[in-house]
Amino acid sequence: MDTATHMLRTGRRGALFEYQMAFRDLRASIERIDLAWSLAWHDVVSRYRGSILGPLWITLSMGLMVLGIGVLWGELFRVSLQQFMPFVALGIVFFGTVTTTINEGCETFVQAAGMLSQTSLPMFTFVWRTVLRNLINLAHHIVIVLAVLIYYGYWRVANYPVAALGLFFLIVNVAWISMLVAIVSARFRDIPQIVASITQAAAIMTPVFWLPDRIPPRYHLILDANPFYHLLQGVRAPLMGLGVAPHTFAFLAAMGVVGWALVFSVFANTRRRIVHYL
Amino acid sequence: MKPPPVSISCQNLTLRFPVYGIDAKSLKKHLAKIAVGGRLGSHHGSTDVTAISNLNLELKAGDRLGLIGHNGSGKTTLLRALSGAYEPDEGSIEVQGHIAALLDLNLGIDPTATGFDNIRLRGRIAGLSAKEVDARMDEIAEFSGLGPFLAMPVKTYSAGMQARLAFAAATAVEADVLLMDEWIAVGDADFQKIAHKRLLKLVERAGILVLASHDVELLRLYCNKVMRMDGGVASPVTDIKKLDELLAA
Repeated sequence: MDTATHMLRTGRRGALFEYQMAFRDLRASIERIDLAWSLAWHDVVSRYRGSILGPLWITLSMGLMVLGIGVLWGELFRVSLQQFMPFVALGIVFFGTVTTTINEGCETFVQAAGMLSQTSLPMFTFVWRTVLRNLINLAHHIVIVLAVLIYYGYWRVANYPVAALGLFFLIVNVAWISMLVAIVSARFRDIPQIVASITQAAAIMTPVFWLPDRIPPRYHLILDANPFYHLLQGVRAPLMGLGVAPHTFAFLAAMGVVGWALVFSVFANTRRRIVHYL
Repeated sequence: MKPPPVSISCQNLTLRFPVYGIDAKSLKKHLAKIAVGGRLGSHHGSTDVTAISNLNLELKAGDRLGLIGHNGSGKTTLLRALSGAYEPDEGSIEVQGHIAALLDLNLGIDPTATGFDNIRLRGRIAGLSAKEVDARMDEIAEFSGLGPFLAMPVKTYSAGMQARLAFAAATAVEADVLLMDEWIAVGDADFQKIAHKRLLKLVERAGILVLASHDVELLRLYCNKVMRMDGGVASPVTDIKKLDELLAA
């Protein structure tokens, strides 16, 4: 058995010690990342047990939404399908991953209450479980991305390394947001509703369904100060063969560092209490 | 490298539960409280209940400790703390050896998944690798006696069958430190007999057993030491032969 066979739990020994313990939890979760993977995989499999298409059901409904919105809104905005369809498809797929990872983050610790109250499993394990589960679902939706890129010929101009970098930043940032709402939702049960409202508002305020270049310059703050816009742009633009503004990656990197520092401090200070919140 | 011997060591262990009132679970009410100047909220909606106070406990390999005490005396809390789930507010807990906590058999059981999947999941949670679980699968399946039902979702099982599955999966891991809340008795008479045998084997293999129970005869049977908890305060650990004196005290 390769699990840790030494366990030490102590009372508070100052702030530094709390950070050390939080870091130890993180390290233990990474050593046992396969457990998080098993749990995530189990979630995906059990949610779609008895259905033939499995997670592809969401992919299918997403695909229909992409078609509907792409055709109708493309007409309304008078944009060619050649430009609008891949834009909407990539937007819906990646923005969908962002919002569901955050929304499901609210349940991360609440759902794991049973396990957290009688085992010494790292708490980070459950955060990774939520993130990995959504990445598995994203892997299914890649079908839509590939279909659109190939059909409209963007696969030849797409800049894959930059898109991979954008995806990396997306995951890093979404993970900390997901963890933050997980901790806060454990303490306050009305947070999930607030989070759902925010992500819904974000879907409207962010250019998922509408083109950012249609916005008049005086409203540009809606783009520049919108984290969701940068998250999306980092992946979508390179896949469509467009350049990514340097300030987008700067924004994402800063957001990642500040966000993780914030979440890690919150975790270090609440780690002992989370199990009692549940 | 030889691993250090199995042991449990608690020093001045104090555990407090913050009680978050139903009110405190709503952010709106939390903020409203701050807005009215915190007359009611001076304690931030949480009152502490001391579940264990200043407990000292040293156990080494071969120790079979029985925990007695009224409901709410802190037995289960101590077991959960020993499992690593609860963090002490003061003092420390140190455990050497692999811990198995048989506190809630239904831990991690997913009713929509099949019996096999549940065994796998439970094994993974207990710290086995996917390979190790697969290696034990036949033995667990046979022991559960569920045969073809293991390929069906657990929600189709009767309560007794679910208990069999949970028991078979939970007891499949060897542990150095075994924590139990009440001696587990599940299933029909036949199964109880073999379950009992399996538990005994598990206890024999484990270096340390901590068993909380109200059943005095049971404790006499399996334990060689006993400790009484009263409102979170523990008596000194005494020999099981002095159980009667401890009960009378």
